[in-house]
Amino acid sequence: MKVSKLVLSFILSASLFTQILSAQVVSTGAILGRHSIMDSSKEKLVQIIARQDVAKRFQELGVDSKAIEARVASMTDEEASKIALQIDMLPAGADAGASVLGTIVFIFLVLLFTDIIGVTKVFSFTKSINN
Amino acid sequence: MKTANFLSLFFAVAILIVSSGCMPKSPLPLNNNYSSYKIDVPFVAPRSKLCASTSIEMVSSYWQSMTPYVPRLSLLELDERTLIPAKGGTLQIELMAAARANGLLVYPIEPTFDALFAELSERHPVIVLVNRSFSWYPLWHYAPITGYDAKAQTILTHFGDEPNEAVPIATFGELWKRSDNWGVALLPPGRLPASVSAKVFLRAAYDFEKTGMTNEAIIAYETALSRWPDYVPLLFALGNAYYNSHRISKAEEVYRYILLIDSKYPYALNNLADLLFHTQRSEEALKLLDRVITDDVEIQTLIKNTRKEIKAKKI
Repeated sequence: MKVSKLVLSFILSASLFTQILSAQVVSTGAILGRHSIMDSSKEKLVQIIARQDVAKRFQELGVDSKAIEARVASMTDEEASKIALQIDMLPAGADAGASVLGTIVFIFLVLLFTDIIGVTKVFSFTKSINN
Repeated sequence: MKTANFLSLFFAVAILIVSSGCMPKSPLPLNNNYSSYKIDVPFVAPRSKLCASTSIEMVSSYWQSMTPYVPRLSLLELDERTLIPAKGGTLQIELMAAARANGLLVYPIEPTFDALFAELSERHPVIVLVNRSFSWYPLWHYAPITGYDAKAQTILTHFGDEPNEAVPIATFGELWKRSDNWGVALLPPGRLPASVSAKVFLRAAYDFEKTGMTNEAIIAYETALSRWPDYVPLLFALGNAYYNSHRISKAEEVYRYILLIDSKYPYALNNLADLLFHTQRSEEALKLLDRVITDDVEIQTLIKNTRKEIKAKKI
């Protein structure tokens, strides 16, 4: 799916979910301190852009394009903004199994360290600091 | 490597770990009186990189077996909504968004053992985020906590291949600490969390509404009113949810009830005025707006605009 098509659907879903019957109704979000009482079109625009950013990053990170729209639509405004800003820093829970590569790296580092402090001699390229 | 060499290596590493003071200690206060709990959460075998959707699935099927709750998404759909292939896992926000899309209220617990045990004591499984390794080589993982064995001092969790795996509390404390004790209780909208923050609950329930699940939000608000019957923000949220879903007489009833508790609550006066205006009762609407007394400029502007709209299109 092209990003431009996604943008259009987000504009639609954003206007569906803002739940404003008329311009003068105070939303629950306003009393929860999440945005101002008056409906601000600037806030809406910021939202649309944030969701667009998330969709684009998801595409780059290999998320199935069929699922992107539903995933972004299921986020609240705050969630979408947070992901848009911090996606590269946030932790991603993965699995419970031992990662083979991770374990090898770990053991390598421990052995390298113990080699260097002179309690082991596993690798030929290390020189103990005691020598 | 010869056996002797291997053994000396093993001891060297062991001594290193012990001497560096990394041995975990129990994170629980001495003389704590946490009792044992075991929740019968159906077990789903782990699949690589999909611990988030698997955890949601286990908790969802628990509620399905206990209550009239029916999940909205299949396991396959949960997988599709949570995995980020290049990251090899799931973000916390997406776990929350997917669980909510599955029809469960996502209540973030306080980052304490007290809060965790409080939920367990009411048989609410909690999904936690842990780091199974060190911060310099993080291995993040989600797992539902299914109980606690006070005698053995172990946390029970569907952590990996084994159901209700017993993890020593000290080890669990270390792993959980690395996510700043992050955990969420996933509850059907008709259930309240054990913790007692009306505001946190209201935010969680309102998140349903913001993602288009107004019916779930209404059930959650109504349930919360059984515990906090006169909490005005909650009533206001319920009135708005009714109004947004065009249940006009219900909305009117709730707005009027708010004004019995707080006759000058400007937001209820405003929204009720708007409702009256849209149901051909402009005179009464304008009288309500006259009752608003405030120094807040934003509220003054709001009331002025509402009044203007009613006068302009007076029916």
